[in-house]
Amino acid sequence: MAQEQTTDPRTNGSSTASTDTERPGSESDGSLDGEGLVLSYPSSDGPIIDGESITVTSGSVTALVGPNGSGKSTLLKGLADQLAPDAGSVLVDGRAIQSFDKKELARTMGLLSQESTSPNSITVEDLVYHGRYPHRGFFESTTEEDERAVGRAIELAGCGHLRDREVGSLSGGQKQLAWIAMVLAQDTDVLLLDEPTTFLDLHHQLEVMEIIETLRTESDITVVVVLHDIQQAARLADEMVALKQGAIRARGTPEEVVTEELLAEVFEIDAEVDLTPRGPRIEPLRPRHDDDGRERPTERVSQADGGDG
Amino acid sequence: MATETPSDPETTGWREQWSGWFDGSLFTLIVGSLAVVVGGGLVQVSFGSFSMSILDAWQAVFNPNVIFNAQAWEAFLLGAEVPEMNKRSFIVWNIRLPRVFVGALVGMNLAVSGAIFQAVTRNELASPFILGVSSGAGLMVLLTLVVFWGLAAFLPIIASIGGAIAFLIVYAIAWKNGTSPVRLVLAGVIVGTVFGSVQTALFFFADDIGVVQSAIAWTTGSLTGTDWEQVRMALPWTIVAMGLALISSRQLNMLLLGEKTASSLGMSVEKVRFALSGVAVLAAAASIAVAGIVGFVGLIVPHMVRNIVGSDYKKLVIGCVFAGPALMVAADVGARLALNPVQIPVGIVTGLVGGPYFLYLMRKQDEMGEI
Repeated sequence: MAQEQTTDPRTNGSSTASTDTERPGSESDGSLDGEGLVLSYPSSDGPIIDGESITVTSGSVTALVGPNGSGKSTLLKGLADQLAPDAGSVLVDGRAIQSFDKKELARTMGLLSQESTSPNSITVEDLVYHGRYPHRGFFESTTEEDERAVGRAIELAGCGHLRDREVGSLSGGQKQLAWIAMVLAQDTDVLLLDEPTTFLDLHHQLEVMEIIETLRTESDITVVVVLHDIQQAARLADEMVALKQGAIRARGTPEEVVTEELLAEVFEIDAEVDLTPRGPRIEPLRPRHDDDGRERPTERVSQADGGDG
Repeated sequence: MATETPSDPETTGWREQWSGWFDGSLFTLIVGSLAVVVGGGLVQVSFGSFSMSILDAWQAVFNPNVIFNAQAWEAFLLGAEVPEMNKRSFIVWNIRLPRVFVGALVGMNLAVSGAIFQAVTRNELASPFILGVSSGAGLMVLLTLVVFWGLAAFLPIIASIGGAIAFLIVYAIAWKNGTSPVRLVLAGVIVGTVFGSVQTALFFFADDIGVVQSAIAWTTGSLTGTDWEQVRMALPWTIVAMGLALISSRQLNMLLLGEKTASSLGMSVEKVRFALSGVAVLAAAASIAVAGIVGFVGLIVPHMVRNIVGSDYKKLVIGCVFAGPALMVAADVGARLALNPVQIPVGIVTGLVGGPYFLYLMRKQDEMGEI
């Protein structure tokens, strides 16, 4: 973040109320670690994630994959401090996540949840401006820094042509781009995305993938993304983490993780995997029906996880 | 909004901000509302038991000897002794106008309070009274009138306190590792039902018809007999509540994005929700203290305004500050003059005036009620 925090002419002298001197001098590197995380919902019988650790390399794109109810969204919520762990800790930039002030954390880490709602009559631009919330004091109006960040975010998310449209009038894919622009405007070092491509048409899936690719190549933002589509994950990610029944079964580069054995074990499918220049290409063949009384994917997990998680 | 002319950041910044707050529709709404308030006020001052011609009454309203008399304002707003003035001015300024002002204050309090509760609960059916405020206030009114009649002098304050207590009970019931809009609304319904039953039961113990009438006036809301004293009682709280609501418009907008998003953007959702509810209860209590429980205004005015200016709370709150008084003052004209010389509680008229208009909006708009 470029910090030219001059006193803004438009705050009309009321800026005395909150001086933003405490913004970190930004040696923050955007690292994210979860150690021995035990995560559960108040309504679930037992932990969904039971003592897993995850280290996200800063500046990289990490994809969490796994079948429905494997706990990947839960893990993401735990990392985002939306779900307090029963045990274990989350470190952001090497600091315990609880030691962050709420707004401070929101300036460091952004989260795009799976289903987001907004009033229909809000414009895309106003929605994106909400992403600047953690950067603004209680009485502060928008600064030039805010305007720049919003402009950048809208451009990066490729929704400049939607800027003045009302969110209610957009298609699902366009809405998702607007929401992505909003978290980008947060201007964070770490970005967590929960299934950003699910329910989108192919065009918008690729749009979203392209945004993440841009983030990977042109910025040092750390991205953790939950993806339903393992093919997309393989193409997009520097590192992949595969979960099943709340446990991490494999981690590494896409080439290491996406193997026929892993697909059989974690996703319970027979598939062919070809290594191509664009990463491993998967051709799913058939679901596996093991005869040895294989356990159903735990029902409690899928229940508590609210669907595709 | 951001890109037009980057030449002079200072002036464009201001202009943007003001144009952002005051676009055409909001401006029209404000002008229209003011016209209704002034029109309603002029009708109110023109009629009454002391007969004077309409012209005389209007002259009395615009009597410069009163308007530019610091002493007179001191008397009105601080309760000092009323200075000498002619009889017509005295009647207009001391008896007829205060009622208009009280109506305006009540209207803006209820409208803004309703708008806040609609954001806090993310529920389009929310009104100032959704979290038990009206039932708590109503119960305390009945208790005071029927059981503790020695305390009747403190009725306005007791009613407001009752409302605030009921709100706290609702919050306590809804709290379980934090609240949620649905839990809050359900708890409000439960507390409202229980308190409502007790309140109705208390009617049986009222031994004379005067007490019952007085209780009904309180629980349906009435501006009969309001005076500068009521203005003095409500005005400070109204200013505080309106100021806080305007400042909080950005937080209100954030709440509309939903808890998850607001929280991930760094908002302490529980704290903000409680604080905003507190502001809304303060506004509701201020109106209860002077006019009793006026229904419907807090529900429909935010919807009417939203229909015109959209769901941005910066505009919505400002719109409510003007549209609330318009409905309230217009309704009070009916309450006072429709069945002259009998005055009916204004709460009855707000329902009669507001209901059909609300229906009309609902029929006309497909998206009515969406927050």
